[in-house]
Amino acid sequence: MRRLYIHKFLIALLISSALSCPAFAQQRATNNAHGAAPKLTLPLKDGSLRFAVMGDTGSGSAKQREVGDMMVQYHQAFPFEFVLMMGDNLYGGEAPQDFEKKFAEPYKALLDQKIKFYATLGNHDLALQTHYENFNMNGKEYYRFKKGNVAFYSLNSNYMDKKQVQWLEDELSRDTSEWKVCFFHHPPYSSAKKHGSDSQLRDVVEPIFVKYGVDVVLTGHDHVYERIKPQKGIYYFVSGAGGQLRTGDVKETSPLIEKSYDRDMHFMLFEVAGDQMYFQAISRTGETIDSGVIARRKK
Amino acid sequence: MRQKRLLVAWCAILSVGTISAATAQDTAKAALAPPAVVSPADKTAIQVFEKQVKDYVALRNKVRENAPKLSKDSTPEQIQAYRTALELSVRNARPNAKRGDVFRPEAADYIRRTLKNEFQGQDRKELRETVLETETQGVVLRVNYPYAQSAELSEMPATLLAKLPQLPKEVRYRFVGRNMLLVDRESNVIIDFMPDALP
Repeated sequence: MRRLYIHKFLIALLISSALSCPAFAQQRATNNAHGAAPKLTLPLKDGSLRFAVMGDTGSGSAKQREVGDMMVQYHQAFPFEFVLMMGDNLYGGEAPQDFEKKFAEPYKALLDQKIKFYATLGNHDLALQTHYENFNMNGKEYYRFKKGNVAFYSLNSNYMDKKQVQWLEDELSRDTSEWKVCFFHHPPYSSAKKHGSDSQLRDVVEPIFVKYGVDVVLTGHDHVYERIKPQKGIYYFVSGAGGQLRTGDVKETSPLIEKSYDRDMHFMLFEVAGDQMYFQAISRTGETIDSGVIARRKK
Repeated sequence: MRQKRLLVAWCAILSVGTISAATAQDTAKAALAPPAVVSPADKTAIQVFEKQVKDYVALRNKVRENAPKLSKDSTPEQIQAYRTALELSVRNARPNAKRGDVFRPEAADYIRRTLKNEFQGQDRKELRETVLETETQGVVLRVNYPYAQSAELSEMPATLLAKLPQLPKEVRYRFVGRNMLLVDRESNVIIDFMPDALP
């Protein structure tokens, strides 16, 4: 009898040690998040434009897949039509198996549902990615497309030559879309320590953005999340932790920060309904790390 | 009187706003302005350089016919086949290519001076960091062979690109540490390179 009690005690001790182990707790959180309903903060208005954003994804890691899985879960609650990619789509090589492991497999469920991905080139991406069927770049390193009342501009911040700058200025100058969103890899504003604000790029593109009424700029490169305080009326986001992460990389005393997060990977969801643009940043485990609404500027 | 003061105040505010916007645009335009003064000798060096680049592009586009056609909706296998075929075709068409064929001494000298002007000064520290932070260890600099696929690409500062001799779309500048490369955009083959180009 006494031996039985000792066995029971030892088993209980083993179980409680395992439950309190951080790795196990993290896995449980993941499981719980995967099992629990998505916690959507977006309004799901009729006729709204819905899209997702992810950056620096192409690691091929298990955690990248978990972010992809979480995107699928949220897609069930918030059927976004397409995904914007902030660059660094593939790390470490561009053989066919790299495309498979670092993109096609992690996002297979979304691709199977015919969700389109619109990519931009990062500093780990070669030019021929522009020809990849699933990146929808149409062979171009910079391009524009429109969905509803939103114009999207994908730029190549690795090589911002005069030709691209002129193209951007020409296109924006004749664009009468209600919303203008630019997305590219290097952040004009960032509070991360590793790279931080790309001020030489900012000096070139920001005056154009301001002059032609760009509303939102989405970037990656720094492997964190950050929402920058509006700069000259423009909302900047850093969303560079879709498949990579630099824990603790945000300079928390930075005056630029409206909200930041560098403890886990993430993706973003956006909903545009008339003059309102709603956003939600969601961690790999399904936690809402930021949300809000941007009112369209009168131009 | 009060209305007159208000009107004066509004005019002042509007003027400041207009001047600020104009200044911002002027800043961007100034940043992208080409070099102010180019000597006749430099003009010749640039022309020779541009001709060398043009000749490479003509050769490259001719041998590109040997590569399979690449559509805008390609599979990874098709992309790889195209890249490999183009790389081999270009290499075979330039069997004796060596360093300095395109970056000839006069052009190299002009580009080094341009880089020195662009990168000097404390306010250019960030520009240097942008280029030099790129992780390019393991990139082998070898003319006619590709830049390592696994290596990062340096961001080319917009202000610098505006001041360097302009390139056709098939060719790109790139830094590896302080070395400057000329690279085929699609095949990633190193066409030529200048060691110690950055000050």
